[in-house]
Amino acid sequence: MSSTATLTPMETKPAEHATRTAVSVNRADKIFTLSRGKKLQALAEVDLEVREGEFVAIIGPSGCGKSTVLRLAAGLDRPTNGTVEIFGAAPHELATQHRLGVAFQEHALLPWASVRSNIALPYKVAGRKVDDARVDGLIELVGLKGFEKARPKQLSGGMRQRVSIARALALSPDLLLLDEPFGALDAVTRRRMNAELARIWGEEKITTILVTHDVDEALILADRVVVMTGRPGRVRTIKNVDFPRPRDAATTRSPEFHELVDELTSLLDANDGDAA
Amino acid sequence: MNTPTRTSVKVAYSLAGGALLILAAQLIGQFGLAGRAWPPVMDVVSYVTTPAGASLLWRNTLVTFSSAAQGFLLGAVIAVLGAALALVVPIIRPGMDRFAAILHAVPTIALAPLLITTVGREDAPAVIAALSVGFVMFVTMASGFANTSSAHQDLFTVIGANRTRRLARLELPRAVPAFFDGLTLSAPAAILGATIGEWFGAPMGLGLVIVSAMQNYQMALLWAAAMAATIMSLLAYLVFIQLQRVAMRRFT
Repeated sequence: MSSTATLTPMETKPAEHATRTAVSVNRADKIFTLSRGKKLQALAEVDLEVREGEFVAIIGPSGCGKSTVLRLAAGLDRPTNGTVEIFGAAPHELATQHRLGVAFQEHALLPWASVRSNIALPYKVAGRKVDDARVDGLIELVGLKGFEKARPKQLSGGMRQRVSIARALALSPDLLLLDEPFGALDAVTRRRMNAELARIWGEEKITTILVTHDVDEALILADRVVVMTGRPGRVRTIKNVDFPRPRDAATTRSPEFHELVDELTSLLDANDGDAA
Repeated sequence: MNTPTRTSVKVAYSLAGGALLILAAQLIGQFGLAGRAWPPVMDVVSYVTTPAGASLLWRNTLVTFSSAAQGFLLGAVIAVLGAALALVVPIIRPGMDRFAAILHAVPTIALAPLLITTVGREDAPAVIAALSVGFVMFVTMASGFANTSSAHQDLFTVIGANRTRRLARLELPRAVPAFFDGLTLSAPAAILGATIGEWFGAPMGLGLVIVSAMQNYQMALLWAAAMAATIMSLLAYLVFIQLQRVAMRRFT
């Protein structure tokens, strides 16, 4: 341990509780009631276990309920049937204890606040003193040094997403939920953001669920990939991803990587057929 | 490069429009096209420039301004607090909406006797101004508070915000542009409300000047008082529209 004394304390966490279950979704159904009594089943009997310190990606065709799984885990929605437990408790408890980090599809930054205040927001909402060193560190981590005083509308789409990821990381959450955080970006920026996220995750090792429709992104980042079917969303298959980290260009160019991409993509294609 | 030219063209247009309006009013008065109640503009202006006329108008304008400002402040404060209360305690929101609408629907003329017996002749103008301002401010603030995006609400839920912090860090800053929208609409309403309030026996003010000028057939004085009220109303509007622009830039 003495050799790692200079590292941040949270890096020792995964090793201590590597076997603990962080997220447990049990036979969860989600049925939305639309106008005039019409019902829409978004999820059907979804089972998902995420161990502490694990990075799980959920992929699926659009509208398959991926984001609904994330909303259940965040405590923003309740399952119609089945249960969702986060660290053995109800999901919203993690939020009220300020131990949850979420980066939404829309970045949801406060337009009147600077980059710095947006990242410091979780501290203020938690009633804690803002840890200036940590905020500075996060700004540097997401490559926004020099933009501390800028307001969201002065930033590009990719920069806003990075601010939103930094905000999600601010309180060193026990669970990080990422809902297509790079959905609106061009391919090049997206790859760069993937690399940055992999690096951030490598440093903080926070239990993470990433929702995406990009197979490459899932394979670059995740320990396991959950493939979901079209409406209603079900878990079709779960793939372990064993490529060594960091997964650089050498990994993504390897035949094994391409094979896995093809396999998962064909699973997604089959889903589109089912959904139609 | 383009902007200064465009601004000056705009200013030139408004000046030209104002000049045409004044000219038309002058000609209508001069040729008696609208009867004897419409004096030529120059008669009104020359009345305003006499020392007695100027001092009379100035003193009464100050009184009306002070009533309007008091009513403006009172109405705005009560309306913002009411809208914030309706936001924090959603169950009372429909009731408050209805109460505001009913209060607004009662004609001022009907309220006047009630106000004179309760708050007295001197304070009635401020209260009537407050009522007009309060309704506008309550409606704009209630919709400003309801205007928060669901993504922002979700964010505050997942970072574990309690009710007070959600109000202070999301809903209040988000409603700042609506607040200034409301003030822009309310400022002229406050002056109108104060002026009308002075019709019911106030000891001084532009409303009183208008009523007495009407009864004594002093057309130049009547128009001068109306002009003073209009100019005050326009100035208030111009001041608040600038603040509203700043707020829009800063908070969206």
